[in-house]
Amino acid sequence: MRRLAWWLIAAQFRTRRTATLLSLLAIALGVALGYAIHLINDAALADFARAMNTVQGDPDVVLAASDSAGSVPLGVLDELARDPAVEVVAAVIDTRVRVDGTATPLRLLGIDAFSAAAVMPRLLPRPADDSPAGGILGGRVYASPALLEQLGLRAGDALTLRRGDRHWPTVVGGELPGTGAGDRLLVADIAWVQAHFGPNGAVSEGRIRLTPETDPARWQADHRPRLPVGLLLRAADDEGRRVANLSRAYRVNLNVLALVALLTGAFLVFATQLTAVAQRSTQFALLGVLGLAPRMRLLQVLLEALAIGLPGALLGLGIGYALALAFTQILGGDLGGGFFSTSSPLLVPRAAPALGFLGLGCAASLGGALYPAWLNRRQPLAQALKTGFAQNPGAHGHRFWRLPLLFALLVPAAFGLTRLPAISGLPLAGYAAIAVVLIVGVAAAPWLTRTVFGLLSRRSLSPPLQVAVQNVAQAPLMAQVAASGLIVSFALTASMVIMVASFRSAVDQWLDHVLPAPLYLRSKGTPLPQALLDAVDRADAPFARVERTAHGSLTLDAQRPALALIVREIDRRDPGTRLPFTGPLFDAAPGEVVIWISEAVEEIYRLRPGERRRLPLLGGDIEVFVGGVWRDYARQFGAVVIAREDYTRLGGDFAPTDLALWPRSGDEAEALRWLAPFTAAQGLEVSTNGELRALSLSIFDRSFAVTHALEAAAMLIGLFGLAVTLAASVWLRARELATLGALGFDRRMLGRAVMLEGLLIAAIGLLIGLACGLAIGAILTQVVNPQAFHWRMPLDVPVLALLAGVALTLAAALLASRHAARQATRLPLAQVLASAQ
Amino acid sequence: MDRRRFLVTPLLLPGFARSAASDSPSAGAVVYAEVEPGRKLVFPRDHGAHPDFRTEWWYVTGALDEPADSGFQLTFFRSRPGIAEELRSPIAARQIVFAHAALTLPGVGLRHAERAARAGLGSGLSSEDCDVWLGPWRLRRLDSPAGEFLRLQMNARDFAFDLTLAATRPLLLQGRDGYSRKDAAGDLASHYVSWPQLRVSGRLLYDGKGREASGKAWFDHEWSTRILGSGAVGWDWIGINLADGGALMAFRLRSASGATLHAHAAWRDAAGRLRQFDGPEVVFTPLRNWQSARSGASYPVEIGIRIGELGVRTVPIVDDQELSVNRPARVVYWEGLVRVEGSLSGRGYLELTGYAGRVPLAAG
Repeated sequence: MRRLAWWLIAAQFRTRRTATLLSLLAIALGVALGYAIHLINDAALADFARAMNTVQGDPDVVLAASDSAGSVPLGVLDELARDPAVEVVAAVIDTRVRVDGTATPLRLLGIDAFSAAAVMPRLLPRPADDSPAGGILGGRVYASPALLEQLGLRAGDALTLRRGDRHWPTVVGGELPGTGAGDRLLVADIAWVQAHFGPNGAVSEGRIRLTPETDPARWQADHRPRLPVGLLLRAADDEGRRVANLSRAYRVNLNVLALVALLTGAFLVFATQLTAVAQRSTQFALLGVLGLAPRMRLLQVLLEALAIGLPGALLGLGIGYALALAFTQILGGDLGGGFFSTSSPLLVPRAAPALGFLGLGCAASLGGALYPAWLNRRQPLAQALKTGFAQNPGAHGHRFWRLPLLFALLVPAAFGLTRLPAISGLPLAGYAAIAVVLIVGVAAAPWLTRTVFGLLSRRSLSPPLQVAVQNVAQAPLMAQVAASGLIVSFALTASMVIMVASFRSAVDQWLDHVLPAPLYLRSKGTPLPQALLDAVDRADAPFARVERTAHGSLTLDAQRPALALIVREIDRRDPGTRLPFTGPLFDAAPGEVVIWISEAVEEIYRLRPGERRRLPLLGGDIEVFVGGVWRDYARQFGAVVIAREDYTRLGGDFAPTDLALWPRSGDEAEALRWLAPFTAAQGLEVSTNGELRALSLSIFDRSFAVTHALEAAAMLIGLFGLAVTLAASVWLRARELATLGALGFDRRMLGRAVMLEGLLIAAIGLLIGLACGLAIGAILTQVVNPQAFHWRMPLDVPVLALLAGVALTLAAALLASRHAARQATRLPLAQVLASAQ
Repeated sequence: MDRRRFLVTPLLLPGFARSAASDSPSAGAVVYAEVEPGRKLVFPRDHGAHPDFRTEWWYVTGALDEPADSGFQLTFFRSRPGIAEELRSPIAARQIVFAHAALTLPGVGLRHAERAARAGLGSGLSSEDCDVWLGPWRLRRLDSPAGEFLRLQMNARDFAFDLTLAATRPLLLQGRDGYSRKDAAGDLASHYVSWPQLRVSGRLLYDGKGREASGKAWFDHEWSTRILGSGAVGWDWIGINLADGGALMAFRLRSASGATLHAHAAWRDAAGRLRQFDGPEVVFTPLRNWQSARSGASYPVEIGIRIGELGVRTVPIVDDQELSVNRPARVVYWEGLVRVEGSLSGRGYLELTGYAGRVPLAAG
């Protein structure tokens, strides 16, 4: 029995070499993409977590200010240090500085060597310090080996650190042996950092190690209410969660796309196995007569599917690993998503995920073979022996009356799903709606085919056309098989094209709004020098207008990434000229503090325009008025804009990091010349409006580069499916075609009929695919993107691109049909007719 | 007292502060206050910190009756390494605080813990009165209607204590009114205040169980800038609460050859009469050595001391009271609970250093 199974599998592989290989490749592709995305993301997250672990160490609880302007007063730290449940509090000042002569800001960590030894040992300088003098307490600065190499510095070399107008001339004490190969860090004594760069009388964070018998959660709950306003306690675990949250939605989206490739692979298996079952119906009937049980006939088809799925999935794992390696080298660990700035992360494959993807590949293949296997079991033996394959064994047409009922249930279901909110931050209902749309599309294919072609066949047509139309109308199952792969692949491709196009045009318009000035000067995180700020205000400066912006951050929920806090010189009464608002603006009372929130803030933190809320701002608990909601495609985790006047009125120190510049009389070249001395000395970056726009769009395009690869893969799989099924249908209908030949059809007419049939099926598939694609595109832009990323955008259908896609697919379908038609012309007609007797 | 000098010398902060005072970019040469004879000590002000001097410590040792034959020790050290003196920051590492605690439990073993921090960041010192803290560890002097007392609090991973030490006798100012010479010439000296016969009450916690504690304790407070000669490798010291209510303190500094460089003793009898002994009047004689299997060092845990016409010998409650501290540098020494027998009898602490290799000393 086992030998028979193997023999049948081997025969299947031999006779349907191309189709089987294609199915195998399709499965491999789906697995490869999914596995590669998983590997890359896993590696990037691990790398990011490791780098953060070096800096943060291993505390139980972290005490920090809830906004970047705030800090932890020394008195609060001392109070906590006296708590018997606290083993040690390691104070840290975390700031950004530039090393004189370089442009990139670096992270400078001020640590207390006494407490850091217990919590952040990897930040300690090399203990056996061979430098002749100094030490960390004496004011020396230590750098990670990678940074020392980059700066070309050695122990004992002098260097000057700058932050805004403050500077600190010091000496390199040595290196930080505990840091990783890619870390670029400076470490110095906390008091020296405080004396030179602040904050006065406070630190950035207290990293708390509790005694072993203390429960961190309960300790936090006890201390949180007693904490001064503007400070927060967060579990060190939250950091990990914040990192994972950072890229989760993006990652899930990519993985769903990979599953789509897998799904189209499953359709290909479906097509291959169905034709295989049909082609071998006589063989199977013979075996059945000889005693092969119906159950064994079912198992045989499933076994054959596994014989496709398993090697396909294994191949996919290999390709996936290779893809991951290639992608990390080219795009970095975030697949162009822009979440992590680490260099190429190390890929570490683990057993469980690999097995999971292997299982997925096999499951897709088996899933595709389920219906053909069932059909094979149900074949009436006698009839199969005599006339071949029965498409609807034991069922006489009552498939079709069920369809309207199915649609009546599924279409409202899809609508309902799009109305559901995100589930734990993921648009799972949206994905389910997409699946329902695809099911509806595929199920509609035979009905639509029969209806359309039934109508067509009543008209008088040329004989080959008549034959083709009749054929499609009479054998909707084969048409469905051929079209379903195309429907799924074209629907997904079209939807991705629609989504990316909508998004891109929305970003394009948004850039118009957020980049009003011709020139932008940015310092990448450190405050701008006062000399420059004074100079741009002088009458001889070549600027008609200057607007300053300061950047900070704000934590409203310790488990979420911090919000961007943007302090801008903006007209409180007319912010609409600077921010792209999505709804009405609300006027605040004169004395009130107004903030304008991005859509993400509105959705994540449930802030509503026009309402008053208390926010932890500037170390206080401040009541603010939400003046409006604006669109922000740059900061997925939310941004809050506050006017400079409000910020300074609250006691905030306005330290601008960015300037928007309007050169006088539009002479940008003159303005750039004027700025050159400042930018050269301070490592500042000046960009024109156009450069920033081009940069933003290129980042956008890069981040969607992966999706184009997936679209191409899906389309290829769909077309393969069409070619395979058409070729099989020619073989199946050999007798019918031979009869036509006997009735006077010449080979050219036969070929034309088959080609026409292919084109008609492809046209139906594309029509349904396009409709589904539009629906899915709408779901992606209106449901999935807002829920996953809080990015809303108007639906923008790129008609030309879609039409081009349709034309291209039709041309490809023509090629696939020609392949089938050529087989039809090669049929040995006489022999076929003879054998039919 | 010179015996703890090695613990607080700035040159022992490896890699942190190597000769920082002279070489760091902005630190000027630090000028320390000097110990001077004839300075009148005023209390409680002089129980507090003296941050102008280089080093200082508050040192409490106690022999307990309950749990029987147990002993405890809690010490706070202050060091001014001369680093970051001119840095404008409240957390500049100008004053470093170290703390050690130990519990001797016969049949259970020796428990030990240590901590370090800079004053102003998880640690603090008062210059008004005795009040020094490092994390949850704290030593302070308080007044109550019943009289003065000290409160000691500490907790570590495997033991903790919270003790009240009530004064029963007056302060004992060592040397000449608290001016204690450390060599014959008078170049090296400290201000040294002892407070013997403190009545202990409170609780100990070890092995997960709290226990009542009672007994007698000895408090030392000493500060100086130049205290130790360059020839010394270690020292022997005792501080004993006598059974009759008196107090006995004796020390000697040893050279590499084991010879006594300088020795001194003070005996206050039950009636409160103080007698001081110098030079040849104080003779230390090892009687029995105990060898540590860990370090290989051999300590004269039974040591005979002739003080004028008096003769006493120490008998350790437990032989193995060897300690190994890592902050600021790794030093192995013996410090533990002993009984004193002979002309005088009582209980207290014996400290033996420089037996497990030369103690890394800094010349004053």
